[in-house]
Amino acid sequence: MKEDTIICRCEDLTYKDVLDAINMGMTTVSEVKKMIRAGMGPCQGRTCGRLIAQIIAKETGKPLSEIWDTTHRPPLKTTPLGILAGGDCENK
Amino acid sequence: MRTNEFDVIIIGGGIIGTATGYYLSKRRKRVLLLEKKYLGSGSTGRCIGGIRAQFSTETTIKVAMKSVDLFRSMENEFGFSVDWHPSGYLFLAYSEEKKQSFLDIIQLQNNLGLDVRFLTAQDIKSKFNYINTDGVLGGTFCPTDGQADPFYVLKGYMKGINNAGNVIKTHSEVVGIDNHVSDLFEVTTKSGEKFYAPQVLNSAGPNSKSVGEFAGINLPVEPERHESLITEGIEFREIPMIVDYRPDGCYFIQRKTGQIIGCYTPEKRVPGNDVGSTFEFLTEMPRRLIRLIPSLESLAILRQWAGSYTVTPDGNPIVDKTEIPGYYVSTAMCGHGFMLGPALGKLMADYMIDDEWPYDMSEFAYNRNFQKAAEALG
Repeated sequence: MKEDTIICRCEDLTYKDVLDAINMGMTTVSEVKKMIRAGMGPCQGRTCGRLIAQIIAKETGKPLSEIWDTTHRPPLKTTPLGILAGGDCENK
Repeated sequence: MRTNEFDVIIIGGGIIGTATGYYLSKRRKRVLLLEKKYLGSGSTGRCIGGIRAQFSTETTIKVAMKSVDLFRSMENEFGFSVDWHPSGYLFLAYSEEKKQSFLDIIQLQNNLGLDVRFLTAQDIKSKFNYINTDGVLGGTFCPTDGQADPFYVLKGYMKGINNAGNVIKTHSEVVGIDNHVSDLFEVTTKSGEKFYAPQVLNSAGPNSKSVGEFAGINLPVEPERHESLITEGIEFREIPMIVDYRPDGCYFIQRKTGQIIGCYTPEKRVPGNDVGSTFEFLTEMPRRLIRLIPSLESLAILRQWAGSYTVTPDGNPIVDKTEIPGYYVSTAMCGHGFMLGPALGKLMADYMIDDEWPYDMSEFAYNRNFQKAAEALG
């Protein structure tokens, strides 16, 4: 991978941006996410999440199970406000 | 000095702990910051980044105004942008009673030098033509209130602490504090490491109660869940933080990235450490949001999440020393930690060194009467 390879296209982050975050001491996907906003765009980390996990694993030598600590947030797919507004809700 | 001995040990790596650590570092103190997970993993990384000085009591207004000054100068100080933007905060009144309370508070705010204006419904309509003003009797607007990105601010403080040669240990949960080891506190982490310092700061937010108990300090604080959501970005129109205080109201702002981010305070409080998301919020928040700005109807939600407000009975933080000499607390920010954090960090750092406040801080005192009237703009 080249330094300028795009890893998170939603937030326009390169391989080097991810390496910099790791060099600042970030050792999990959540930490990298919160340091550089990786995975916080429209794809919600579906594209970059695994790439970042692999880069962290390679750089730190930690097993993937200790690196992959993100929570998948609802909704599963981006959904317009107007469609959700006032939707039926059983636990209301 | 031994390598495990410091001037100050800070417990909790959110905005309060990092800001205090940053200002202690600037005053050349040897600081160790211990964080259970990673920086911002508690409340700070879950907050929506709003910053305001529109409060209703003198101390909070003064502290918040100082914070706004600090946010404004962060780009210079850190050498990178923290996405500070003065979008303003607009509080809406839907009842005569609320309108009157806003008018009363403006007097105090203006007297303290804060630029807050009362806007009629007509003024609001002409200034923010996208807002549905049905039922609005007026509102207050402060153009110097704004927003910043919590992660970037934490990064600035983290770098400052590291550059001063001080130590931040993440994934280091504190499991014990012994205050009977000569004149030093002995702080033990889960992995068994021990650290020593004459001063300890509890800035553990939702966990500050248990961190207090380790040393025999009883804090009247409790976390409660608040949910949030964020949308995709649209063209930046500087939509201010719109605060709708109706029982089924909400508050939201357009981030500098173009996204709309917002929350509401549940009518029935949800105490506890749970930060799970509900379907009720996912359907109710959009209803409340597009009731205020109908044109956002087709905007898509990216995600929802939740975080903790750590609250006290009177809605004010606890920022003080305690009955145990050397044990300080700066916690229970009642949902205002990010916005008050920079100023409280500076104030607490100076207080731990000089033992005096620049102005009356009794509103935030550790042993105050917590049953007084709550902050009106909570």
